Amino acid sequence: MSSLLGTISIAMGALEAQQAGLATTSNNIANLNTPGYTREQPILQEADPIINNGITYGQGVTLQGIESLRDSILQLQIDSETQQQGQAQAYVNAMSQAQTLFPDDTSGIGQQISNFFQSLNSLSTDPSNLALRQSVLSAAGSMASAFNGTANGLSAVRSSLDQNVQQAVGEVNQITQQIAGLNAQIAGVSSGSQGYGSFLDQRDNLVQKLSGLIDVSVINNGTSITLTTKQGAALVAGNQSFALSTALDPASGVQHIYSQGTDITSEISSGQLGGFLQARDQTLPAMQAQLDSLAGGLVQALNTANAKGFDLNGNAGGNLFSPVSGAGAAASMTVAITDPSLLAASSDGTTGSNGNLTNLSAVANQAVSNGMTPTGAYGNLVFQVGTAVSGGNTELDASNTMLTQLQQQQASVSGVSLDEEASNLMLYQRGYQAAAEAISAVDQMMQTIIQMPGANT
Amino acid sequence: MMISPYLTQIELNAINTADQAEQTALLQLTTGKRVNVDSDDPSAAAGEVSTSSQSGDCDQFLRSIASISTELQTADSALSSGVTALQQAISLGVEGANGTMSQDDRNALASQVQSISQQMMSVANTSYNGKYVFAGTADSQPPYVVAAGVVTYQGNDSVNQVEIEAGQSIAVNQPGSQLFSAAGASVFQSLSDLVTALQSSSSTTDDISNATNEVRAAYDQLNSARTFYGSTLDQLNASQDFLNSEQLQLTQQTSNLVGVDMNQAATNLANAETARNAALQATASIGNLSLFNYLGTQASGG
Repeated sequence: MSSLLGTISIAMGALEAQQAGLATTSNNIANLNTPGYTREQPILQEADPIINNGITYGQGVTLQGIESLRDSILQLQIDSETQQQGQAQAYVNAMSQAQTLFPDDTSGIGQQISNFFQSLNSLSTDPSNLALRQSVLSAAGSMASAFNGTANGLSAVRSSLDQNVQQAVGEVNQITQQIAGLNAQIAGVSSGSQGYGSFLDQRDNLVQKLSGLIDVSVINNGTSITLTTKQGAALVAGNQSFALSTALDPASGVQHIYSQGTDITSEISSGQLGGFLQARDQTLPAMQAQLDSLAGGLVQALNTANAKGFDLNGNAGGNLFSPVSGAGAAASMTVAITDPSLLAASSDGTTGSNGNLTNLSAVANQAVSNGMTPTGAYGNLVFQVGTAVSGGNTELDASNTMLTQLQQQQASVSGVSLDEEASNLMLYQRGYQAAAEAISAVDQMMQTIIQMPGANT
Repeated sequence: MMISPYLTQIELNAINTADQAEQTALLQLTTGKRVNVDSDDPSAAAGEVSTSSQSGDCDQFLRSIASISTELQTADSALSSGVTALQQAISLGVEGANGTMSQDDRNALASQVQSISQQMMSVANTSYNGKYVFAGTADSQPPYVVAAGVVTYQGNDSVNQVEIEAGQSIAVNQPGSQLFSAAGASVFQSLSDLVTALQSSSSTTDDISNATNEVRAAYDQLNSARTFYGSTLDQLNASQDFLNSEQLQLTQQTSNLVGVDMNQAATNLANAETARNAALQATASIGNLSLFNYLGTQASGG
């Protein structure tokens, strides 16, 4: 049979449980706006009953601990989508910078190529006119500067990406170190305690942050997690983190990323680093190569045409531009002559002939780079950079939408709702009041027994 | 469903989306362009590179046409006065072939023909902007020079071509060798022969008529060769009209490629503003909703 004292102990257990509930609720409310906070709830369990003379007496409630309401599968999906988003965002940012170097209308290389050929047409109306010849040289100079400026701009975008890569690797190392530290702390805390949940929240937060930076694979070993890149380079194992390092790659002239001595640059495909690397190592070099091919092809074609004619002094034409080819052609394009009389406009050596200007003008319609005319090749670059940005934007939008949906799902599992907390607060408060009432009732009953006549005899 | 911490995120997303739509519509309205960066429509942007270049070419062709037209007109009017002068020489020859004329009268006619020859010399050596227009491409020096009484052509037979429409070039000069010193129709030789015939007392009226016929042949050659200038000027006018309409067409094409439908953009702007206001209002009203408000009221009431 149960005793009054037993009833008090049941009520005491209830008080403790309701207090834990109140504490959890107020912790939830306090963390309403904490990023990455996972809602907690007390784990209450019915205490083991006592069976006496065939009658089962309930023994109240016991507080098992406090649990966080997290969905680890959802968290993995969020991490994975965050990697996509980080990649797309970094790529779009980089290519948007490159895009400004390729305007489609009144400035830039396209306009300068067009101006140059127009200056040749103008000269053809009066081929010995020195002012018109000077205009051709000025237009050639502006065209070369436009190539130089665009090529330098592309290099600048690449080298700023190179710095971004180094910074991102630094951040990755900092985060993996923190995660290793949290792994150690989590191992030392029991799973029911309130601190446990907050450590897990911090760790989830860090893994998500890390996912924004680099490909991450998460392997959950119970309390501790192991992190590697998608291709298996170790980042964190238990309480140990493995720092990535960067070093200048002499062949490409950019920073490569190493994991314990192995070059993993080409393996990284997502997170900010993935985006930086895709722009730095693939898209931008391809555009640079096309720009160089256009510059080299144009210079060669114009020099060939100029050499077919005669200058104002009756001498055979020399180079109009300093010969350039291959990598760096666009950056180093320069006009070779400063004396306008050296322009070989004449086809027969007389000063009044404009016959060779026809050859020079014809370059506008010649295939000078990858089978394309100068303007066509430039238009193709405009198309490519535009497609890179708009494609990246489409991916980014899809990633953002997906991530928002996943975060809403997560919020519905792990988020704090003030409505729910308000009603919980009320429940725990009433529960506490009721348990206190029970103690007070037992107290009165015990008073009754103590004051019974003959109780002292 | 619990929506709490991300509720603000959802609201922010809605406001951001509306903001972006509003900014896009505003940018389109202010620039009048649908494609403001390459990524707005990469193939339209690449298309604009081409139309923009073609449009610049049209402008240049029009400038070139204006510049060569003046030169061609100068040449044409010089030739026109030359033709008139030769007609006069022919009349003088016909007059001189009249048997009733005295040698003195013929000598007077001869000196008039000589002065016509000098006039023709200055026509043949017409220059424009320091260039001799009838010298072929050897235009830095006078094409016709007199040495020991003989006129020689030191120009060449070359013709310059100027592109006046995309892919279409026309010749812009006629060398003197086809105008004044064509084989069998040389202006200066025929005039010199006429002077000789008129001055020589041994000349018969037939001799003078023959010499006059020589001048007539030179006249015919000059008159027919000079039609080149008239027809070239006509062609330049026609090209000018073509280029002007081409310009309009390119403007239309560019506008189709990258221009914005102003009505559409204005509607988009209005819609975006409505959406933004709605999102802001929703945020403002949702922000106050929580059970705590109602519990608080109850507690103080009870």
